[in-house]
Amino acid sequence: MDALIIIFITGLLGLFVGMLKKSQLTLIVICTGLIAGFLSMFFMNDYESIFSSYNGLSFSRTQQMFGLLAIGLTLLAVLLGYAYYKEDTEHTADYYGLILFSLTGAICLIGFSNMFMFFLGLEILSIPIYVLVGIQKGNSLASEASVKYFFTGSFATAIMLFGIALIYGSTGSFEMKEIQMAIDMGMSHSPMLNIGVLMMMAAFLFKVGAVPFHFWGPDVYQGSSNAVMAFMASVVKLAALFAFVHLFNFTFQTLTPFVSGLVLFAIIVSLFLGYLSALKQTSFRRMMAYSSIANTGFALFAVLNQQFGEASLWVFLIGYACSTIALITINMIVEKETDELSNWKGIGYANPLIGITLVISLLSMSGIPPFTGFFGKYLLLSSAFSDHLPFVILAIIASLVGAYLYLRLMLLSLSREGEGQKLKMTGIQALVLIVSLAGTVGGWLVLLIK
Amino acid sequence: MEQLNNIGASLDFYIFVSIALFSIGAIGVLTRKNMIVLLMCIELMLNAVNLLLVTFSTFFGNGDAQIFVFFIIVVAAAEATIGLSILIMAYRNSKSIDIEMFNKLNG
Repeated sequence: MDALIIIFITGLLGLFVGMLKKSQLTLIVICTGLIAGFLSMFFMNDYESIFSSYNGLSFSRTQQMFGLLAIGLTLLAVLLGYAYYKEDTEHTADYYGLILFSLTGAICLIGFSNMFMFFLGLEILSIPIYVLVGIQKGNSLASEASVKYFFTGSFATAIMLFGIALIYGSTGSFEMKEIQMAIDMGMSHSPMLNIGVLMMMAAFLFKVGAVPFHFWGPDVYQGSSNAVMAFMASVVKLAALFAFVHLFNFTFQTLTPFVSGLVLFAIIVSLFLGYLSALKQTSFRRMMAYSSIANTGFALFAVLNQQFGEASLWVFLIGYACSTIALITINMIVEKETDELSNWKGIGYANPLIGITLVISLLSMSGIPPFTGFFGKYLLLSSAFSDHLPFVILAIIASLVGAYLYLRLMLLSLSREGEGQKLKMTGIQALVLIVSLAGTVGGWLVLLIK
Repeated sequence: MEQLNNIGASLDFYIFVSIALFSIGAIGVLTRKNMIVLLMCIELMLNAVNLLLVTFSTFFGNGDAQIFVFFIIVVAAAEATIGLSILIMAYRNSKSIDIEMFNKLNG
């Protein structure tokens, strides 16, 4: 709760500091605020909060871990944005401010305990993103992406709201605990409730970007800038996935038999459609967008696992988000006029840090054992193993296709033909690469501490 | 659902009106080409939700949902603001507000 307030105030402060047009000063203010928010989230205690009597937001141990991860990933996105917007002093502060407001929404969405906070969090998360996607005002691709994201996103919000209204109509409450109680008391066959839950699920599948509602992903990722894309692919996805898993594992847990078939369908189609479409892309961003659709498919296995779903999702998201951010940073360094994959040819040998990060990120994403990506996938799949065996086998086949995709990119960037030239990178980009590399290699060590 | 049947036809009437409004909005979003009409259709969908919430709130006799309606109105205002500014930006870049003109991103 305090972390939320600190981050929001830092966002406002950043907007004012930005008027001085000193991008370095703004960056320092924002990073200090984020680190303060991180520490406050880490040492959080429900009884010593400023608003301890307000029960709309409550953070359990797991929710705290997700909050920490969200703040950490935002810090990386902010650092990436510095390399992008430091010359454009007019808009540096806009970028930071909007990112922090969006993070505020993400934290609401992680800690919600009634529908008010859930809805507000979702909107505070999405509305700044609509703006961020179109932040390059003169770019017609960016404005197209922004238009597409805005209309599809607000359509999904309207559907979600209708679902919430129907759930309220059948249970008579907005509190998660009371809704759960009403469902357990035998409301679970009410058609109104089931239609409401279905509508919420459709909107959730849209927000996390899973098939059948994935179509916006590639367009929006291609139109937005690298830093915004990194934020969307990590923090936005994390918050939406967590809210999805939390809602369906606790509040709607009695409805699992009804929900699980649909979720399994979404998982399998996301996996195959994501990886197979990624294979034929020539643009890096579209390829990452399709790969993130497939990874969302994996993450949705957490919805089917009530006991360890959230913990395994956490480990999976560390691996996924760190390697995605690393690859996007590399794309930022490599990118010329376009983001064609042919730019990547032979960059591995000439630049050792880029080469190492690239190889390890791609190995982790394809699920090779000593890295975090493997542990995340293992935890998610092993929990579904006994109940949904055929689907686990299908998921493993899909992940082989994915491994082919990632290893192909690796071969391309390690090929000797191109005689890759030395690339310029700033200190901050190197820092982001090293931090995300550390997350990819050592993120699973958290499992040992528990 | 059983609870709802006891109150008679009036609640059903409100629910039907609100579902009709919502469907008109949804069909409009899916079929219309003009972006301003799309924005209006989304507002229509949100207002259908408001109507439904107020109906349920009166039916249950507690004010929760009416507070929720205020939240929705505020958010809808914010969304309309953002939507119109995005629309103006898009118009400056492409000189059109026809949603079908936006087809450069694909593949």
